Amino acid sequence: MNTSGAFRERLLGAWVEIQENLGRSVLQAMGVLLGVASVLGGFSISDSQRKRADEMFVKMGGLDKLNVQPKAAVRDGRPTALQQANLGLRDEDAVGGEALKADAIHGVSRQKFARVRVVSAYGDQDRQISGIGGDFIPANGYGVARGRAFSASEMDTGAPVVILGTEAAQVFFPKGDALGQTLRVGSVPVTVIGLFEERVFRFREGQRNQFWWRNRIIAVPANLVQRRMNGDAYRRVDRVTFRIPDLGAMGGFAKQLSDLLKANHRLQEDFRLDDVAARIRRRNSQGDVYDIIFLLSGVLALVGGGIVNVNIQMAGLKERVREVGVKMAIGASGREIFKGFMTEALLLTALGSLAGLALGVGFSWVITKSLGIPLYMTPASFLWAYGLAAAFGFLFALYPAWKASRLSPMEALRYE
Amino acid sequence: MSSIIQTQGLTKVYGANGTAVHALRGIDLTVAKGEFVALIGPSGSGKSTLMAILGCLDLPTDGTYTLDGRQVQGLSGGELARIRNEKVGFVFQSYNLLPKASIARNVELPMLYAGVGRKERRERALALLEKVGIADKADKLPGTLSGGQRQRVAVARALANEPALLLADEPTGALDSKTGAEVLGLFRELHQQGNTLLLVTHDPSIAAQAERQVEIRDGLIAHGEGAA
Repeated sequence: MNTSGAFRERLLGAWVEIQENLGRSVLQAMGVLLGVASVLGGFSISDSQRKRADEMFVKMGGLDKLNVQPKAAVRDGRPTALQQANLGLRDEDAVGGEALKADAIHGVSRQKFARVRVVSAYGDQDRQISGIGGDFIPANGYGVARGRAFSASEMDTGAPVVILGTEAAQVFFPKGDALGQTLRVGSVPVTVIGLFEERVFRFREGQRNQFWWRNRIIAVPANLVQRRMNGDAYRRVDRVTFRIPDLGAMGGFAKQLSDLLKANHRLQEDFRLDDVAARIRRRNSQGDVYDIIFLLSGVLALVGGGIVNVNIQMAGLKERVREVGVKMAIGASGREIFKGFMTEALLLTALGSLAGLALGVGFSWVITKSLGIPLYMTPASFLWAYGLAAAFGFLFALYPAWKASRLSPMEALRYE
Repeated sequence: MSSIIQTQGLTKVYGANGTAVHALRGIDLTVAKGEFVALIGPSGSGKSTLMAILGCLDLPTDGTYTLDGRQVQGLSGGELARIRNEKVGFVFQSYNLLPKASIARNVELPMLYAGVGRKERRERALALLEKVGIADKADKLPGTLSGGQRQRVAVARALANEPALLLADEPTGALDSKTGAEVLGLFRELHQQGNTLLLVTHDPSIAAQAERQVEIRDGLIAHGEGAA
């Protein structure tokens, strides 16, 4: 930057020029504005949607959990003696798994299911009940609204206690407080000690509750199911869940766990782990298509706007040939003229982009509002929108500015 | 006496072989420092072409041109711009002020291209406007000024970088005779202060105000060749 303030002068000159040709300038800025708004709006809507999907995933007990479930070791034919002797997924597997990476694992839960007849004074239904162990309640996003959770000793001894989801409470105790009441689960009378909070998640406002089925839960200690309903001598479980918030650690852990379980299970793969890699891929690629489409539409708007701008500038240049001639006569080099025109175009791009960002925010707000999802915008979207506009603004300003700089001073002065 | 302008065999040809127009056919002209020369000739005589070349707005097809000791032929566009900026001051018939810039900014512009600092630019511009007698109009736009005042601004702008040569192309052509006479008076004043002036005109009565007349006809010097 030289001391004569040439840049400042150019900027001032550009500003005067923009003001003097307000109509033309607004038209020129419009192309940039729409492109920026389209990129920013598109990205933000896509981000909001993705964020909402993430939220749902997390609420469902999504990303950060690794599930292990039993799997039939034999697909066809008769099982071998080895396969028959195999023990299936057990409590020990959960304990062993946790020992592998105790620092990365934020919780382990076990589930043992049973399908039994559930009877109260008001209801009599065949229901699936969940025997739960470990950190099941927090790990799966449940919370106890009234009463209490199972104590450690209740879990351990398989005490006859139950916690009901809101739907289950409604079905079996429609007339009032379920707390303290007795429910017969299979042949076991159990006492209601707690009620879960209602689980509600709607992707958009007004949509149905995606989590309605979670309110059907009838939870008892896993050991109760094991001992008195659906157990066996090997203490098999139906699902073990490890909670690992660090997605990076999850892949390695899944591999180690798989090796450990295989070793414990006499080299039989009678268990199934979630496909963590696929999950991460899915997570990362979610909405990518939309991003690309929005990016493309933004780029097309910017290119279209850019072409229009070149036209407007070329037409504008015709009116300014004489001015260029005068400037050249008093000593402006072609380079100086080029810089002047570029400054003008870039200032216009910058102003158009700012307006475009504002419009983009408004646009995203309206769309997400109408979709009923919260607006979520990232700095990256702003940078993309602004960066693209600046890049295209620069590219499309080059030709008219170059043309102006190549005028012959003699002919430009004589131009009428 | 050292010469400001020295040309030898200057020719200018427009167009290609078949339709070539020979605007200048070999001009040998010398203008000494401090001279006030009028370049006179009817339209189509080639005087505008000659002025463009002398003002470094255009390059000759052939011949040599030395301006204030600097060889001009063969220079690049950027170098020519620099010479125009530093060594030549233009005054045009139609003033050619930038309509969107204030009077002071118009005068400052050549200094801006020369890299003069903001404060000094402003000071010098005001001093120059004072010199041509319209210091009070510094912050006005050119459109608000009369023709004579605009031409004074143009003279101030031409003097901005203390050029070796002042080139005036029909400077009174758009003015009534009274204001025209005033502007010519300003030129004489500048001449007395030691500036070198070259005035292009088709009007013999205006040319008579200069100390030497050079007449151009059909691309050649008809009268007044060489130094006075």
